[in-house]
Amino acid sequence: MEIMAKVAFCVYTAVILGGSILAVSSSSLVRALVGLIITLIGVAGMYLLLASPFMAFMQLLIYVGAVSVLIFFAVMLTRAESGGDESGRVPMKTSVLGLAATIAPAAVLGWLVMTRPVESIAVPTEVSIKQLGEGLLSSYFLPFELISVILMVAMAGAVLLTWEKREGK
Amino acid sequence: MSALTLYQIVALILLCAGLFGLTQRRSLVGMLICVELMLNGAGLSIVAAAQLTDFSATLGQLGTLFVMGLAAAEATLVLAIVVVVARRFGSAQTSDITTLKE
Repeated sequence: MEIMAKVAFCVYTAVILGGSILAVSSSSLVRALVGLIITLIGVAGMYLLLASPFMAFMQLLIYVGAVSVLIFFAVMLTRAESGGDESGRVPMKTSVLGLAATIAPAAVLGWLVMTRPVESIAVPTEVSIKQLGEGLLSSYFLPFELISVILMVAMAGAVLLTWEKREGK
Repeated sequence: MSALTLYQIVALILLCAGLFGLTQRRSLVGMLICVELMLNGAGLSIVAAAQLTDFSATLGQLGTLFVMGLAAAEATLVLAIVVVVARRFGSAQTSDITTLKE
């Protein structure tokens, strides 16, 4: 079982790596979106490995099901450039500065993670859906209500932003 | 190397991919895709830290659920903003919407 977990971890890491490289480097936005979906599925596998199947299910439902479709609508509703939205060379200066902006926080965080390891337990604790529901309705009731208000406001705001008045009235 | 460190490194890879993409992309929708990558790295890091230590696992999973809800709300609003910008400027490229600067 130990070996199986390690193999699964390596497979999911490879899926995440490949997907994120596709998402970042592809010149066509639809292909970048496919890369994002591959990455999201890899992260869902990681949640399964961490003994939280409910989180994996929610990841597939919310991200792969809803957010990806939203982004696909955004791709379709904007006028696409011929030959891909991201075609053409990125200026050298932008690449170098972007790489520096990536490496700076990554080096700090990586150094912290590597030099100050936290003792981890071998077998992850499993949380039942019942416990999660009880948590939502007792200790974390306020954030639970706030997130519904935020979703409502975001939805109403999106409708308001894209509202078009009828001509001639 | 402990299991938690491995998961944190994967989350760090997701953060780096998102950050690098955010600086390279020239369209608003591409930038949105990179932001989603970074948010996923944050969620993975939170769940790994909660599941693999003595910390309350319920709080970790609920926190990641809230991150997912916020990501959905953010994607909705960004979609609306991108549609408004595309209608107003005729394109969703970042180089075309710099009129404030000139």
